[in-house]
Amino acid sequence: MNLFEGILNLRESKKYNSVVRSVASFREAGIILIIFIVCFILSLLTPHFLTRDNLITTAIGLSADGIMVIGMTVALVSGGFDLSVGSIMGLSGVTAGILYLEGMNIWIACIIALIVGMVCGLVNGFFIGIVGLNPLITTLGMMGIARGAAYVLTQGSPLSLFAIPKSFAFLGEGKILGIPVIVFLFFAMAIIGDFLLRRSEPIRRVFYVGSNEKAAILSGINASKVKIGVFILTATLSSIAGILSLARFTVAAPTAGVGSELRVISAAVIGGASLNGGEGTILGAVLGVILLNIISNGLILLNVSVYWQDLINGIILIIAVTFDYISHKNKLKRLKLNK
Amino acid sequence: MMNIKKNILYGFLIIFALSISLAGCSGSNNIDSSSNTVSTHPLTGSPNEEYYMITFSSGLEYWKGCYKGFEDAGKLFGIKTVYTGSPQYDVNQQVTVLEQVIAKKPAGIAITAMNPDALAAPIKKAVDAGIPVVTFDADSPNSGRYSFLGTGNEYAGTIAARTMAELIGNEGEVALITLPGQYNHELRVEGFKKTLEKEFPNIKIVAIGNGKSDQTEAAKVAAGFLQAHPNIKGIFATDSTSGVGVATAVKETNRLQDVKIVSFDTDKGTLDAIKQGIISASIAQGTYNMGYWSMNFLYQLKHDLIQPVDKWKEKNITPLPPNVDTGVNVITIENVDAFY
Repeated sequence: MNLFEGILNLRESKKYNSVVRSVASFREAGIILIIFIVCFILSLLTPHFLTRDNLITTAIGLSADGIMVIGMTVALVSGGFDLSVGSIMGLSGVTAGILYLEGMNIWIACIIALIVGMVCGLVNGFFIGIVGLNPLITTLGMMGIARGAAYVLTQGSPLSLFAIPKSFAFLGEGKILGIPVIVFLFFAMAIIGDFLLRRSEPIRRVFYVGSNEKAAILSGINASKVKIGVFILTATLSSIAGILSLARFTVAAPTAGVGSELRVISAAVIGGASLNGGEGTILGAVLGVILLNIISNGLILLNVSVYWQDLINGIILIIAVTFDYISHKNKLKRLKLNK
Repeated sequence: MMNIKKNILYGFLIIFALSISLAGCSGSNNIDSSSNTVSTHPLTGSPNEEYYMITFSSGLEYWKGCYKGFEDAGKLFGIKTVYTGSPQYDVNQQVTVLEQVIAKKPAGIAITAMNPDALAAPIKKAVDAGIPVVTFDADSPNSGRYSFLGTGNEYAGTIAARTMAELIGNEGEVALITLPGQYNHELRVEGFKKTLEKEFPNIKIVAIGNGKSDQTEAAKVAAGFLQAHPNIKGIFATDSTSGVGVATAVKETNRLQDVKIVSFDTDKGTLDAIKQGIISASIAQGTYNMGYWSMNFLYQLKHDLIQPVDKWKEKNITPLPPNVDTGVNVITIENVDAFY
């Protein structure tokens, strides 16, 4: 058998097919490739991109969005999404800040802020999961309510936390294993979340609910409970992001998190989550956040005019999603042909 | 039988209707026509007089100072002040709010014009309807308003440039973080740029970024600038929230010694940062005075107390000073305690 025949035989062997299948099904391969390409181009265009300092500050900057994308992915997989994540982030920061300024211990204030966020999530989950309202309208309403509550509590003024205890300041300024705390916590939560979403049976129920809710219910899954759990999760993660932001800036701004809901949903979709439900990974979503932030960091480093940045960010976004979508489709086509 | 019941029912209805109309009559006799009440002293107004302060992005902390002045002056006169405005940075919203206020026939309006041309016509409408109108902080010069109280954002930018120059030794690279597209911020940047060109040609602006009025976003942009331009000596933020973000970014990259930060306004976060030496200076416009003297002016107009020129209304001459400079303060660590 010569080399040519050997290759033909290889293409037909089962082992080769299963390898191709597993690489193709590594959904995130497309976006990892795009990130490498962007990093490569940026490192050619500016010497300031691939420096340790720049990468660390970029990582710090994207951590809040990153924490929220973990929950948003689960929400998208379950067939819904949560527009109130930014507002809950702001409300939690403000709640913790106000309670601390009133004399409460900062950690207890944070726990209460977390509970406030979870209650918001519970309300979302109740209206979406039990009453059956549309997630867009419900979370849109909560977006207004939570943001409004933050404004009312602060009367519009950011709250300044002077002289916070060192232990809390550590969350904002300290390092664990050489990595800033907020980045470390983000990575830890992302890894745990990704693992659970792939392997944990009760968590994976969201895939069934998202792909075909009726079939899921018929096979014994309590879709309402799943949805309530999903929205409590997104709200809790948003609260955590808000509290960590508070520790970082030592200022509780009622405007914290404005606009983040669309960024976070875009990141999750770039990373492979489908707006129709049933598909998505946290790894992909995190890569989406990284890609978006690398691009905007690049535009800043390249001194692109401030007026052009939104335009260019949008164009690159569409290119990245299209490229990813096409390569994903091609891989599926090749899989079908090989059968 | 049914007829008797019907009659009783009709009887009750008539008695009911009569008593209501009687109550109405006696009620109207008791209504205080306070618009006709003659005050005992010209500077004593009626609590039924309503003076409105209309802003845009009405939740901003910046307007709180303005309204505090407005309200305090209102208390002096014993009248009622109302704060309103468009919650978003949206000129259509602000025009709508203004027109709704005009429909309420207020005693006076103090408004900050998000866009001078778009607000000119509705303000003119108010003036033509006999409502005293003054503008503050952001003017609409062709609207027929009786006075403008403010410093002009361009001048605030000029002061910021001079402050920055002093801090960095009249030469070096600086960056700006602002809210592109927002008129008052564009004016601040204009003032900053023009002053640097004219008075400090050795200072170069190397980057301008969008702070998006969000601490996290402003921090990202500032961090990017600090990486791309390692020789930056100063960063100027045209709003306080971006200023806090910039301060955090500079702190996180340990460049506090080399980079001077000049920010805006007097919110607690900025003041605390000045006290800690993280922000070097903040530009504070005389917001209290804008509100305080607006109220004073409106009251004088409403009660026809000022007559510098006979029959000024017919001659289309404003009886008030047409432009009032409410001043700019530079807050540094030396005077910061006074601003809390």
